[in-house]
Amino acid sequence: MDKELEHNFVALLEEHQNIVHKVCRLYTNHREAHNDLFQEITIQLWKAYPKFRGDAKFSTWMYRVGLNTAITLYRKSKRTINTYELETYQFKLSAEEYDDTEEQQLKLLYDAVRQLNDIEKALVFLYLEDKDYKEISDTLGISEVNARVKMNRIKNKLRTILNP
Amino acid sequence: MDELELLKKHWQKDGAQYPHVSANAIYKMILKRSSSIVKWVLIISLLEFGLWTGLALFFKGSKSTQNFDKLDSDFLLIPLSVLGYVILAYFFYLFYRNYRRISVTDNAKILMENILRTRRTVKNYVLFNLLFMVASFAAVLYIEFDQDQALIRRAQVAAANGEVFMFYGKIILMVAGVIAVFAGVLLFFYWLIYGLLLRKLNRNYKELKKLEMLS
Repeated sequence: MDKELEHNFVALLEEHQNIVHKVCRLYTNHREAHNDLFQEITIQLWKAYPKFRGDAKFSTWMYRVGLNTAITLYRKSKRTINTYELETYQFKLSAEEYDDTEEQQLKLLYDAVRQLNDIEKALVFLYLEDKDYKEISDTLGISEVNARVKMNRIKNKLRTILNP
Repeated sequence: MDELELLKKHWQKDGAQYPHVSANAIYKMILKRSSSIVKWVLIISLLEFGLWTGLALFFKGSKSTQNFDKLDSDFLLIPLSVLGYVILAYFFYLFYRNYRRISVTDNAKILMENILRTRRTVKNYVLFNLLFMVASFAAVLYIEFDQDQALIRRAQVAAANGEVFMFYGKIILMVAGVIAVFAGVLLFFYWLIYGLLLRKLNRNYKELKKLEMLS
């Protein structure tokens, strides 16, 4: 493949890699699986990159490929069978905002989100990324109205998980 | 406050906690091979095309059919095999076209549909092939009983000895055995594909379809 293309791609991905990390964070529950999914998304992004045209933002394009990989293409590697203890992420809150109850609440929230199914996670992910319902519906292939209705149901579901 | 709002606030300034993947590491990653299900769908589908076509060829070349070739059967078997190849080519073209349509940059629903459509083509091919084999079996048996003097004599001898049931029973058992083997191979592939490979995809596709019913 073209060296320049490769160079551009690597630079762009290095800059925007947090998007991929965030997808991995929602769809995996330990470091090893995170890295594995990160790698698969990177490969899918690279394979699709020659067809990437500048008319979409690189980051927007990444959401689509990243979520498609997590929801549809990715097959859990053998290494990720349940032999690992769930290693949850450390929350690094800076000193001034450190607050025991908030940290506890966040942990519970992340755990609750992990209990959602793959599609619900995708909606939550895009919502957390501050995407509007138009973009959510375009990414998943559902109507805007349904995206909105589903989002409300997910909020209720999370509330039920958190306050049983 | 809305629970998700709290999460969102935290999520937005979350960047620092992830380990930074260097450009060098990314270079290495893009050289690695994908382990996506699309690759496995392709491999298994090609195996299926190969296997079922191979089986058809194997039966054509086997000893009993060499014996059978002496009989006057060209009128039936030549059109049947030409038809078989034409239909194989047609299914393969459909499969290839559907496979090429799979694109990770489509929306989630279309991507899933394209993968499922590709699988459906292979499934239809296998079904067609099974029916085709049953039809060929029937044709072969018909010609055998119609023309093969040795067989006809054996049938007459069996009838004379009152062993008609034995005679036909053996033939039926043989045919049933062959069909059972085919069914076993077929089930194995379906367990492999739908049980292991496409379980997640199917589940998520159903979930997306359910969302369509919301309004």
